[in-house]
Amino acid sequence: MHSGFKIHVNGNTVNISNFDPLKFNIMIKFLTQFGLYSLLLKKVFSKPEKPSIYYRQTMRELVYLGLNSIGIVTIISFFMGAVITLQTAYNTENPIYPAYLIGLGCRDSIILEFSSTVAALILAGKVGSNIASEIGTMRVTEQIDALEIMGVNSASYLILPKIIATLLFNPILTLISIIVGIFGGWMAGTLSGVITSENFIYGIQYSFIPYYITYSIIKTIFFAFIITSVSAFQGYYVNGGSLEVGRASTKAVVFSSVLILLFNVILTQLLLS
Amino acid sequence: MIIVKNLFKSFNGNSVLNNISVTFETGKTNLIIGRSGSGKTVLLKSIVGLHEVESGEIWYENTLFNKLNFTDKKEIRSEMGMLFQGSALFDSLTVEQNVRFPLDMFTDKSAEEKNERVNFCLNRVNILNANKLFPSELSGGMKKRVAIARAISLNPKYLFCDEPNSGLDPITAILIDELIKELTEEYSMTTIVNTHDMNSVIEIGEKIIFISDGVKCWEGNKNEILNSDCESLNDFVFANSLAKKLRPTNK
Repeated sequence: MHSGFKIHVNGNTVNISNFDPLKFNIMIKFLTQFGLYSLLLKKVFSKPEKPSIYYRQTMRELVYLGLNSIGIVTIISFFMGAVITLQTAYNTENPIYPAYLIGLGCRDSIILEFSSTVAALILAGKVGSNIASEIGTMRVTEQIDALEIMGVNSASYLILPKIIATLLFNPILTLISIIVGIFGGWMAGTLSGVITSENFIYGIQYSFIPYYITYSIIKTIFFAFIITSVSAFQGYYVNGGSLEVGRASTKAVVFSSVLILLFNVILTQLLLS
Repeated sequence: MIIVKNLFKSFNGNSVLNNISVTFETGKTNLIIGRSGSGKTVLLKSIVGLHEVESGEIWYENTLFNKLNFTDKKEIRSEMGMLFQGSALFDSLTVEQNVRFPLDMFTDKSAEEKNERVNFCLNRVNILNANKLFPSELSGGMKKRVAIARAISLNPKYLFCDEPNSGLDPITAILIDELIKELTEEYSMTTIVNTHDMNSVIEIGEKIIFISDGVKCWEGNKNEILNSDCESLNDFVFANSLAKKLRPTNK
């Protein structure tokens, strides 16, 4: 029960009846965090000190955050494609549905949702926690202070190459995921005998809309930015020791995942409506 | 020379530095001493600009440092070197890359000139045959020496050391102290060292300020510190039983 509260302005008493202190605190916390996030992004996108150093860092991040993620994306995409095919097959056993619909369902599920959204959620776990713990550890061991003392814009030096690397490489991961996922679907479908190879291939070619690929890549770019910037934000403002670094890492994954799901709805409405 | 005037700093309403004024002289090893939690590190981090102060002035020669924006501060920061309590070496870089980092970032020297400078700095701090090692492969003393090498790589005018002896054995601690003193004289730097190690005070304390609860209580040098009238300083200096036995009898 919130009975409201009274404030005094120039001798007059104003009664604010529907004031909820809990909501107020949540709003203040949200605005504070959003303000800090915006200030961090301003620092990140300021002019780099020495572009050649940033280029080198970006190449390094392409390997750490991009190339090193190919394995997990490939494995998960393969099995997800296989499961989607089998699930579609076992749930559309009615003879009025043509068999090639299994291939079509597998293709569209993978392109529209799995390779962009689900892969982004997986990468939020792998890449997001990696970024938050790396930057958080640098914060608590004073390495970020050391950069600042030298006159280096630490936010830009540490975060910008990671953002550029994921924006460049995550679309490639999405394309790999689409190809491997459909291949996994074909393998599972033909080996289990739920669909013939010809039907599956006909299905994945049937009524293909190339814009779906563009849609998937646009979503991936947004999600890559969310994963990198939110995780870096959590790491950059760590205060304390190893326990706080662990917490920041968890927060990075949770907040990135929630934002990915939220933006998935928004982008789907904007891009497909 | 660094001049600090009427510095105030608080965190969440709790005063940490209260009206600190002090001059740190060029070519001397200036020490800030005090108990843990007395405000030494906050003072040092305020001087280098890692903490924003509420009021007061920090002058580097004729420049009012704490009123400059980030870009203008860069120029003075390029003349600073800092040794952190935990060394703060970059984990992902080798010893050589750590020392080369400021050169890569702020100079246009050729690769050969940079290598020459890196080797010179590492030799100067007696780090030999460790160029390709990572910080995780070094001992505590070696890490401190590499951090000093990185700090001096750009020939700084100002050197800041936050508890350079923490976690080191007494002999290595003295070696680090001597190294800091030698480098200060050699390059005529303004060096500020934060410490609560009395060995350092006696070895290298050319100018000493004592801080207690954020207030500057005493200022002097290593010859004067044993004969001070400041009660809180005496409690600090003669804290252990050996020092108590050596305390002048008239105190």
